[in-house]
Amino acid sequence: MDQEFHYAPFRIEAGKIREFALALGLRNPVYFNKEAALDAGYPDIPAPPTYTTVIDFWNERDLYQLFAVWGLDPNDILHGEQSFDYEKDMISGDIISATAVLTDRFDKKDKGFYLIETTYRNQDHEIVRIGRSTLIERREQHGAEIAGHPKTSSYAD
Amino acid sequence: MARKLPDIQKQALTPIDMVRYSGASGDFNEIHTVPKVARSKGFKEPIIHGMFLMGWASDAIDEWFPGRKLTKFTVRFIGMAHAGEAFVIEGILTTDTAGELQIKDISGTGKLVGSFELEELPV
Repeated sequence: MDQEFHYAPFRIEAGKIREFALALGLRNPVYFNKEAALDAGYPDIPAPPTYTTVIDFWNERDLYQLFAVWGLDPNDILHGEQSFDYEKDMISGDIISATAVLTDRFDKKDKGFYLIETTYRNQDHEIVRIGRSTLIERREQHGAEIAGHPKTSSYAD
Repeated sequence: MARKLPDIQKQALTPIDMVRYSGASGDFNEIHTVPKVARSKGFKEPIIHGMFLMGWASDAIDEWFPGRKLTKFTVRFIGMAHAGEAFVIEGILTTDTAGELQIKDISGTGKLVGSFELEELPV
């Protein structure tokens, strides 16, 4: 199993940010209007807080290739947890390089757990974001969706 | 010291909203959009992308704290969410720069719990 996966360099573009922000229903005008972005102190349209998903999936070397390398069916994967550290703004025009590392892999009951840490750097090699994901591979499909799912537990329990 | 933040109501999504987010994000996993595949994987119907809910949570933080940037944002996805269900986002500020939030359906069942940290306010 490859422990490290390199995404292809990915350009941050205002039109794609707009599409993503519209699909999510984001309301902050900085994602739609360069004037608003400049007024808010950005040099251009910034990427929203969860925009790294676009980098991971709309990439020439995308997350599906990572799943294929690890032998996973994407439809068996649930997203258990997600965390981001925001180190620096990601701005329209930036070219982002990202490397994903498998930091832990274990089984619990009928589920496989993949802990992935992805570091995103801009064209100046500065870290802009660090993402940490817990992906859960479901091996038992039936009865997955249980009525009265306990409020305080997670998919992981 | 904890301060409750105003609840934010989210209207129910339609299946097309989930198709639109799939296209915008690039996450084309069929459990989010294709009922037949969702059922074959043990779901009663397509489930909303976790990152769709996290995106909503980021929008809520933007509404609560206009102009303040996130420094850290962590969520756990604790329940399946579907089209046709309305949600509420609840939050509390625990310090000047940190808070917690959750997304629930109208019956109170949790879908996402999270925590966030904001940049310091300028002095």
